[in-house]
Amino acid sequence: MEAFLNSDYIKPMPYLLEGLLYTLLITFVGLFFGFIIGAIMGFGRLSKNKLIYGLSSIYVEIIRGTPLLAQILFIYFGLSQLLDINMHKLVAAILAIALNAGAYIAEIVRGAVHSVDKGQMEAGRSIGLTKVQTMRYIIWPQAFKRMIPPLGNQFVISLKDTSLFSAIAVGEMVYQAKTYYATTFTPFETLTMVCLLYLVITIPTSIYLRRIERRLDV
Amino acid sequence: MIQVKDLHKSFGKLEVLKGINANIKEKEVVCVIGPSGSGKSTFLRCLNLLEEVTGGEVIIDGENLTDPTIDINSIRSRVGMVFQHFNLFPHMTVLDNITLGPRKIKKMSKSEADAAALPLLEKVGLSDKASVYPDSLSGGQKQRVAIARALAMEPKVMLFDEPTSALDPELVGDVLQVMQDLAKEGMTMVVVTHEMGFAKEVGNRVLFMDEGIVMEEGSPEQIFDYPQNSRTQSFLSKVL
Repeated sequence: MEAFLNSDYIKPMPYLLEGLLYTLLITFVGLFFGFIIGAIMGFGRLSKNKLIYGLSSIYVEIIRGTPLLAQILFIYFGLSQLLDINMHKLVAAILAIALNAGAYIAEIVRGAVHSVDKGQMEAGRSIGLTKVQTMRYIIWPQAFKRMIPPLGNQFVISLKDTSLFSAIAVGEMVYQAKTYYATTFTPFETLTMVCLLYLVITIPTSIYLRRIERRLDV
Repeated sequence: MIQVKDLHKSFGKLEVLKGINANIKEKEVVCVIGPSGSGKSTFLRCLNLLEEVTGGEVIIDGENLTDPTIDINSIRSRVGMVFQHFNLFPHMTVLDNITLGPRKIKKMSKSEADAAALPLLEKVGLSDKASVYPDSLSGGQKQRVAIARALAMEPKVMLFDEPTSALDPELVGDVLQVMQDLAKEGMTMVVVTHEMGFAKEVGNRVLFMDEGIVMEEGSPEQIFDYPQNSRTQSFLSKVL
């Protein structure tokens, strides 16, 4: 037992688990705001108003066309310089995940709403419901069901993306690992544990998502 | 009840309706027949502005639908529509499908709306299906629920857009029976249909449409037994 606890695989665990806490915090809070941004931008992409459609499309294209690492550095260093503020690292991290995932979620929302048969909107309107009521009671519930699998997928992607925040010294899991093995010279053991900890979250999520997907298929 | 004056409808450059005139009286059952692509579905959809009208006027119950200040939602709630593909809400039970309109538009409580829906379900012969989801229904049952859903808003006019075209032949009868009962009760109905038997038996008047205009109209006897227009004659010779 003692030998096990003293092994180079187990010794970094307290540091890594602390990092995992930040990883999860950034992912969940970032995706919460990312979903709000994504829903707004997704409806923007469905809008017939050219200005709204144009603005949301520019946002989506800029985010999807640039690497996340560049976005992170831009937000943390670039925006801090531009606005002349000292942005908190964690705020920068959450903002980066929210803005980045928001663009992908916008496409998920757009696709899901678009995939609902257009007869549903006609049926709602023909009863006398307004466009907003039809969206709320008829289209959105059906679209949301279809969003669950791709949203889960985005969760996995964003979770892994948080590792990039080691570039701005946010204490997430990879950053914790780097600082740890810099003094112990055990990168192999430490990074093995880092990967295992990611997999402990991502694999059950994927399995669960596949199950939901199969259930939604019928 | 419904006055249509020189109704035009274009999709881009394609002119689908080229000046339709029609006058539909209260309690009248008007059947619209004609070859596919003749514009009959588009005509029907213009009657509750599911299609934007390009020109002319549609007046329902004294209100001009082409007046831009009109509250179209309020008019639609008084004009029931039944679609070829039913368009039931798959995430709601049969009962909720029927009561959604009364609850959200007439602001009825759930129990009020449920109580009002049950006689409608009985009328369409589906009292035992209130709590099931549309997925478990046959096409004919779905269409009868769709009729009950439209009736729940107590419409003054019912529009039917090829209500039996997507059904297996053996399921058509039940739907037509419900429509026939409705006609007997004095509902004003406009029915786009390929069911010539129904048009003959239930219709008070038949409009034959082709190429975006009403080519011929008259009583079922006039249209089916003594068609005057050569297009009507050739169409009927193919379908009868």
